Amino acid sequence: MPSLQRYLRSIYRVGLRAWWRQLQYIGDAKSGRLVGADQFGNKYYENYNAEEEVPGRHRWVDLAQHHYHASQVPPEWHSWISHIRKDPPTEDSIMQASRQPWQQPWTENLTGTRGAYKPYNTVAPKINAWEPKASARA
Amino acid sequence: MPLLVAVGVFRSLASNHARTLILARRLQSTHSHSRHGTPNYLESADGLISDLTARKHKYERTPRKFDAQGNEIDAYKGGPSAIDKAVHLFFFTEILRGMWIVLEQFFRPPYTIMYPFEKGPLSPRFRGEHALRRYPSGEERCIACKLCEAICPAQAITIESEARLDGSRKTTKYDIDMTKCIYCGFCQEACPVDAIVETQNQEFSTETREELLYNKEKLLANGDRAEAEIAANLYADHVYR
Repeated sequence: MPSLQRYLRSIYRVGLRAWWRQLQYIGDAKSGRLVGADQFGNKYYENYNAEEEVPGRHRWVDLAQHHYHASQVPPEWHSWISHIRKDPPTEDSIMQASRQPWQQPWTENLTGTRGAYKPYNTVAPKINAWEPKASARA
Repeated sequence: MPLLVAVGVFRSLASNHARTLILARRLQSTHSHSRHGTPNYLESADGLISDLTARKHKYERTPRKFDAQGNEIDAYKGGPSAIDKAVHLFFFTEILRGMWIVLEQFFRPPYTIMYPFEKGPLSPRFRGEHALRRYPSGEERCIACKLCEAICPAQAITIESEARLDGSRKTTKYDIDMTKCIYCGFCQEACPVDAIVETQNQEFSTETREELLYNKEKLLANGDRAEAEIAANLYADHVYR
């Protein structure tokens, strides 16, 4: 049973406390190299050993928030965890060079909260209510 | 009925003896009521029975044959054929073999990708949520040429433009109805200045339909937040363009 071996080996590596946290969130015992963490405290791991992780499950994130959502991953790390970029943004020179000083901080998908986007018109309205202007009588 | 028998007798008196015999045989076989006893249509001399015969006489049972000692001659008659028995044997073992495969899968590591902690691979050309980009100086790229509005097959883009105080033409309204958009990517291919792009973000689902009517500020904010990823993807793809 390679999966039971892998499971016990992962528990031995990460420790009982981290294993319990993994059970609460990712639902599996996984062990691997800590690649880095983003500005929100999400930790990113990878394990390229095909004996331990099925290809496709070899990169994962430990999301910091309890109410986790996929959009809590910032775009730089999103391109790493979606296997768009080979290297994490901490080592990717192209990703670091692409970053601009005027960039805004990433926010997660705020739908359903008070921070949700509400559409509005960006131009002046073309149809206005009639405002009668009576000219003064002579 | 007597007329038919009389015809048979008349035919038997004909000159050609062999032909008479055949005819008599045919008459016997076709007129079962003239024969006494129940005929067995499910047995033939050559062993060949047509489907029609079998269907017509399916309720008439084949009589069992016994030899002089009282043993049944064809004990397997009416039982399952060899093919039937082989089919049962192999289908039963097939069930067992299928159950064994299920048992093997039970002890294998799962293939399920535990979204959102793990994600499947995406292409750098993936077409997700739209964004309006800026030049490295911070100036917005869009020049309000309206090529994207013209090419949009879903007519999801609405653009209005004005000349700015410095004389450059900029959009005052750049609306994309994300509920109309079919994510074909024609807008980013039509754009001469790489202003409108589709980012790799696909997690922008909303609670209300209203939130999917993006305006220019929302699109610019998307670009401002994801510029590093957009630029890196465009760089990765530039050798193929």
